[in-house]
Amino acid sequence: MPPILDIRGVSKTFPGGTVALQATDLAVAENDFITILGPSGCGKSTLLRMVAGLDTPTTGTITLDGAPVAGPGADRGMVFQSYTLFPWLTVLQNVCFGLREKGLPAAQQQEIARHFIGKVGLQGFEGHFPKQLSGGMQQRTALARALANDPRILLMDEPFGALDHQTRELMQELLQGIWEAERKTVLFVTHDIDEAIFMGSRVVVMTARPGRIKSDVPVAIDHPRAYSVKTSRVFTELKARLTEDIRTEVRRAAGLADAPA
Amino acid sequence: MRPLQPVAPGTRIALGVAFFVLFFAVWAAVTFSGYVPKTFLADPLTMVRSGWDLLANQGFAKDIGMTVWRVLGGFFIAAVLAVPLGVLMGAYKPVEAFFEPFVSFARYLPASAFIPLLILWAGIGEAQKLAVIFIGSFFQLVLMIAVTVGNTRRDLVEAAYTLGAGDRGVVTRVLMPSSAPEIAETLRMVLGWAWTYVIVAELIGASSGIGHMITDSQALLATDQIIFGIIVIGVIGLVTDFAFKALNRALFPWARL
Repeated sequence: MPPILDIRGVSKTFPGGTVALQATDLAVAENDFITILGPSGCGKSTLLRMVAGLDTPTTGTITLDGAPVAGPGADRGMVFQSYTLFPWLTVLQNVCFGLREKGLPAAQQQEIARHFIGKVGLQGFEGHFPKQLSGGMQQRTALARALANDPRILLMDEPFGALDHQTRELMQELLQGIWEAERKTVLFVTHDIDEAIFMGSRVVVMTARPGRIKSDVPVAIDHPRAYSVKTSRVFTELKARLTEDIRTEVRRAAGLADAPA
Repeated sequence: MRPLQPVAPGTRIALGVAFFVLFFAVWAAVTFSGYVPKTFLADPLTMVRSGWDLLANQGFAKDIGMTVWRVLGGFFIAAVLAVPLGVLMGAYKPVEAFFEPFVSFARYLPASAFIPLLILWAGIGEAQKLAVIFIGSFFQLVLMIAVTVGNTRRDLVEAAYTLGAGDRGVVTRVLMPSSAPEIAETLRMVLGWAWTYVIVAELIGASSGIGHMITDSQALLATDQIIFGIIVIGVIGLVTDFAFKALNRALFPWARL
């Protein structure tokens, strides 16, 4: 089966000469949940933004279902780390945003929106404005807003990065449950190792800047994944390995010499 | 008192009123005692009495009406043109690059200095009064609105794009609604400035209006009437400001949450 998203030789050099990302290849298959794990500043967000069409690659091509990505579009939904709900719209209106842009009749927009608001557990909050919601609730709304558009692929840029630890774990479970039910193709950027393993069917580890893919590790943990898998042997072994991988990169990024083995 | 410590609502009102009382008390003290001669400054009582006379016998209400009409008319024309231009400049950088240098220059041109020219061009009729208000407020509005729109959060714009919005959708569904409360706030502020321009416009070559009454009173050394005219402007300004604020609050509840 051909990959739905194909990233070939994609690199990004910012004006001024900073190389954010070295030539990178990545193929994402249908229903894959790929987590991209790397230290901060490794270009993982840049890669995601290029897939979204918000940044343009310096070299290489990105194709979605064989068609080159030329700019942002509704076929690639995105959830950002910052809270990006439109503050002048209610939860319901926020989730309807993309559907209205598609020109769906209002009744149908609301029907779809209410379905996804229910999926993220926010029934009863349809009329709330974003500022009346907690950070976790805002990100759940942002997730519902992206899913309501029915994108081919869901791009998530450290979506739970601004949340406290407990909320973050709840969000991971919620997203895991939604993914198990919907089987969306997801590209998920994070610097949290636990999150990368728990969420992903594959973990792609990136090196420190200038970033490139260091390893690509399948996560052999069955679905449905309960929270308890975080203490299973497969999980802890994988975590030990990725911790080692990342630690080298973090030390390199911090300008420290490689630790003696 | 500690820095930035909020004040209780009741105390706030009491303090605000207290200054008005103090102001009138000092004014009354220096005028009734004869410390300041009547020729230079009328006492509050005379001011109120002649104010009543102006309204009841000299048709001052019509002057007030004329002035309000001019301010609102000139400001309305300026706003109707400035809002779309400001939004376009904020949204589209080439449009901004085209207009911004000239508008930045034009906003420093004093509106009152245009009065002789405008009399030459438009005579001493209403068109000239409206033109003064227009010149005084249009350029300020354009620049401030352009800055507001240009400062729209980039992540909201990006979110809209990833939700399938086109350029038009981003302008009408993100840039405009997100800037709307601040644009309304800009309109409120510039309307306040428009009041100062209208009086200047009416001081020269006008046959009606609050400014006209003030010039007439000057010839008669009627300081009581001049002060009454000034206070009327202040009160109207305060009332429109409150109304505008209340309207903004009602229109954009989300901005205050």
